[in-house]
Amino acid sequence: MASTLLVQPDTKFIRDVMQSGGGDLKKCYQCATCTSVCELSTESRPFPRKQMVEAQWGLKQPLMADPAVWLCHNCGDCTAKCPRDARPGQVMGAIRGEVIKQYAFPRFMGTLVSSPGALPLLLALPVVILLAIAVWPVHAGPLPGWEFAFMFPQARLETLFFTVGTLVGFAFAVGAVRFLWALRASGADGPILPALAPVLTEIATHRKFSKCTIDKNRYPGHLLVFSGFVGLGVVGTVIGIGTMLGVMHTPLPTFSPFKVFANACALLAFVGAMLLIASRIKNREARTASTYFDWFFLLVLANAVITGILSEALRLAQNQAWMYPVYFVHLTMILALFLYAPYSKFAHLVYRTVALAATWEGRKPLIATQDSGSKETLADDRS
Amino acid sequence: MDKRLGVYICSGCSIGESVDVAKLEKIAGSEYKAPVCRTHPFLCGEEGLALLREDLQQGTVNAVVVAACSPRVKTAEFRFDPKFDTQMVLDRVNLREQVAWCHKPNDEDTQMLAEDSLRMGIVRAQKMEPLETVPGEISRALLVVGGGVTGLSAALEAANTGFDVVLVEKQAQLGGFAAAMKKDIPRGAPYTQARMDGVSERIQAVTSHPRIKVHCSTKIVKTDGQPGMFDVTLQNGSDPFVHRVGAIVMATGWKPYDATKLTALGYGLPDVITNLEFEEMAAAGPIIRPSTGQPVESVLFVQCAGSRDSEPGHLPYCSSTCCMNTLKQTEYIREQNSNAQVFVIYKDIVTPGQYEKYYQKVQEQPLNFFMKGNVTSVGKGDNDRVVVNVDNNLLGSPMRIPVDLVVLATGMVPNSADGLAIRTLHDAGLKVLRNESDEQRQAAEKVVEQYKHHEGTEILNLTYRQGPDLPVLRDGFSDSNFICFPYETLRTGIYAAGAVRAPMDSALAEEDACGAVMKAIQSIELATRGQAVHPRAGDLSFPSFFLQRCTSCKRCTEECPFGSIDEDAKGTPQFNQYRCRRCGICMGACPERIISFKNYSVDMIAGMLKAIEVPDETEDKPRIVIFACENDAYPAIDMAGMRHANYDASVRIIPLRCLGSMNIVWIADALSRGIDGVMLMGCKFGEDYQCHFLRGSELADRRLVNVKDTLNRLQLEGDRIQLVQLAIDECARLPQVIDDFVGKLRQLGPNPYKGF
Repeated sequence: MASTLLVQPDTKFIRDVMQSGGGDLKKCYQCATCTSVCELSTESRPFPRKQMVEAQWGLKQPLMADPAVWLCHNCGDCTAKCPRDARPGQVMGAIRGEVIKQYAFPRFMGTLVSSPGALPLLLALPVVILLAIAVWPVHAGPLPGWEFAFMFPQARLETLFFTVGTLVGFAFAVGAVRFLWALRASGADGPILPALAPVLTEIATHRKFSKCTIDKNRYPGHLLVFSGFVGLGVVGTVIGIGTMLGVMHTPLPTFSPFKVFANACALLAFVGAMLLIASRIKNREARTASTYFDWFFLLVLANAVITGILSEALRLAQNQAWMYPVYFVHLTMILALFLYAPYSKFAHLVYRTVALAATWEGRKPLIATQDSGSKETLADDRS
Repeated sequence: MDKRLGVYICSGCSIGESVDVAKLEKIAGSEYKAPVCRTHPFLCGEEGLALLREDLQQGTVNAVVVAACSPRVKTAEFRFDPKFDTQMVLDRVNLREQVAWCHKPNDEDTQMLAEDSLRMGIVRAQKMEPLETVPGEISRALLVVGGGVTGLSAALEAANTGFDVVLVEKQAQLGGFAAAMKKDIPRGAPYTQARMDGVSERIQAVTSHPRIKVHCSTKIVKTDGQPGMFDVTLQNGSDPFVHRVGAIVMATGWKPYDATKLTALGYGLPDVITNLEFEEMAAAGPIIRPSTGQPVESVLFVQCAGSRDSEPGHLPYCSSTCCMNTLKQTEYIREQNSNAQVFVIYKDIVTPGQYEKYYQKVQEQPLNFFMKGNVTSVGKGDNDRVVVNVDNNLLGSPMRIPVDLVVLATGMVPNSADGLAIRTLHDAGLKVLRNESDEQRQAAEKVVEQYKHHEGTEILNLTYRQGPDLPVLRDGFSDSNFICFPYETLRTGIYAAGAVRAPMDSALAEEDACGAVMKAIQSIELATRGQAVHPRAGDLSFPSFFLQRCTSCKRCTEECPFGSIDEDAKGTPQFNQYRCRRCGICMGACPERIISFKNYSVDMIAGMLKAIEVPDETEDKPRIVIFACENDAYPAIDMAGMRHANYDASVRIIPLRCLGSMNIVWIADALSRGIDGVMLMGCKFGEDYQCHFLRGSELADRRLVNVKDTLNRLQLEGDRIQLVQLAIDECARLPQVIDDFVGKLRQLGPNPYKGF
């Protein structure tokens, strides 16, 4: 970008970043240690030093359109090496939170989901919806044993989730498109569709996670949660469609291939979630910098997994007293997770993918640091 | 003095195992008829020293030659009752580091070296005269020029040590720039609080101190005399008056860089001011936009404004205080308006040591914005704001920053006077007036043109032939950083301190004042004893001039690095003993050889050269003389010996006070005696000079050029003379240097004048 930048610092943005985990932002004195140690930073898109400077100066617009913000995988290597304790890793996380808020559709949801005070309201909504479904009388014949369908008929749940899915998908689409426009305007013009295949492969293999050195638990933790969740999502969707078409009937027998697969995924997700939580608590840097925004996502997700496993166990044990309440909580968690996905940290799954795809062309694999021939060049090489 | 020679040879420290000490004794007795010659295996021990003391007490000897270790060691042991000081001479011959420890033991060449060394030592003792303290009326008062932080601190330090002080300040009030500041930068733990100034206390202490006399609105009309007896004529409107002082501390401080040169940075616009103007505004009231009178909402500081670049008219150096002051000034703005946006554009932030804590603190303010960048222009923008364009910054794209006020952090320019330049100007002016030939007058006029901006800049107004003020170093700062000797200047008894010496803040300036006062007191104490200051601290000798044979060539006057020699109307040199550092450069310069010291003279060295036994050309034993300066070269040779490095034993080492004291006649003497080569070994000169007398080795080098021409005419190879610059830490190089030289001389063949 060689055009002149008019500097008018967005002071609210600075305060927002500082309050959502980037509190040590101003300590940075641009020594570039963070960028040098970052294993994911490339010559054509170095980070996080430039983002630190932009955040310090309240330059919100460039940051909203900066794909490098999403190339970062929040590993914390930079924070560990920063000589000033400016915690660039946390600042990047805070900036990502701000991007999610910026492109949230509708806008007020973005603000709501990141406000701790709104938590009761956010949880109340799925509770109310589920209560309505639970209370609505069920016209079903006698059942062979205690089943969830007694309280939550499959058809109603499927309707609910597909509706929610559509709404959420739409919100994501709007956010992603806005984000993409901003990326294009800032010069990241890699074509998205052709890049999707390599990007998704890279994401699936978690190749980037393996590069980070400080927190060794993030790679296995995230990989397990990710694959567990993707697996559950796929199998859940398949079963959902199957039941709607009448080809399947839940609950599936315990040793049906789908059930076994689903249980395995649940276990993976559980272990992964525990790893991530433990690591976040044990690592002093992460613990002291974790914000409500971070914990909201992680705890909702962990609770969803735990209550899911518990629900199944209780159902198999036919414990009538507990299986329904636990399942209720499970559904609440799932609903919260998806309903608020475009506005919570969960949104990274869309934004990061879009950013990676938009910058795929010209980005060489991580090992090669000589980035000749890249399309995007900076006005000078001091970033 | 009637010399009774006493030769004492120590055979300890493996000297006895290396050379035949008995033969040395015989030489002392038979060749020099020494009445006393003793050998002892441990001369510096109680028993050995008792022998010496006994002989002295009895009066049997009064010219003592101690042939043992290096004269640089055991100085306390070989010091005798002060009652003998004016009645005896002592010479040390180096048989240990420069003979026994670095050459083959029990070898013919080593033995010849030891014998020659002894001969030279005896001759030297024979030609030395005892030294006496010359009494003088030394004033124990100090003159402090300048009443800012440095001058005030200096005055207090000196007065509290028991010396009277005369403090001269050209302004009407004391305090300098420190008094004009609203606050001072943090100076003590935790280094995060700007503090109220400390100058007012200091001013109070100075004005009420019984030993300090303060003269404000006063200038120095002239300074006559020499250290210990400076007569300073002062004037403040009415009649001039004179003070007698013993030493001078020059603390004239700094003045701000002339910002009118910074129109490219917008200076001239009403809302672009310098850091000093900002400070004065803040000290007097609210910080406002000069154009509207409204309080500021946004301010941009341009660091290194007109500094640290090679643009003509700019300062090439960092003034060391502007960054800290800018940080302090951001806090003034923050106090006034917590929502003000403050930008700081810098090349670097200079906050060394604990000052970094202040930088960290100021950085933490959410609305302070720091960035490295280059300000390309400052101009008027929309809505009457000032717009600053910054490129080459950390964002990679040029920035435009609209603000209310721009502050240019400009640097310090010393309030110094270039003594040598002023003198050059005056000399050239005289030449123009004297109607010399057209060509000479035109050349003189060019010089006047070149130096005329120095006109009227005198501060101390010394009536020294070499100039009315201290010389200046690079960038106009007053000379006060002699190699190896901080605060030492080229003018004995005059010491520069504070920002006139180097850019600094008030904390450092107070320390600087201490250093300069310490040196000033030292010079007074030494003058009281008739002794020299650094580097030959304690030396009682001084040059005497046999003026009957002086031809007024003025070489001594010009070449003395310290301006010790003035001249009268006829050009006859007038020597000022207390300015002298006893280096002997004048002695080396004089073509008529009329200058000598009681214990160091042309005749003495010539005698030493004659004492060397030069084998004739059939014996294939070349002889090389090394004149080694006592400051770097001689210690390096000693160190080579301490490491038992081996080198050619054909060398005969003659220590000199400075290579600049080398008189050309010695080379002629050496060569005419058949010595094959002469090496001058001394300190480095040039940009990174090490010469302890500024230009001694350089002068020797220049004089050698003429010598080489003479040699060529005598059919002698110019290569027989070599000047080697050897630093004190280069003793590892020494054997190679010597052996190479000997090798080269062997190739040239023996001196054809051998045996003549």
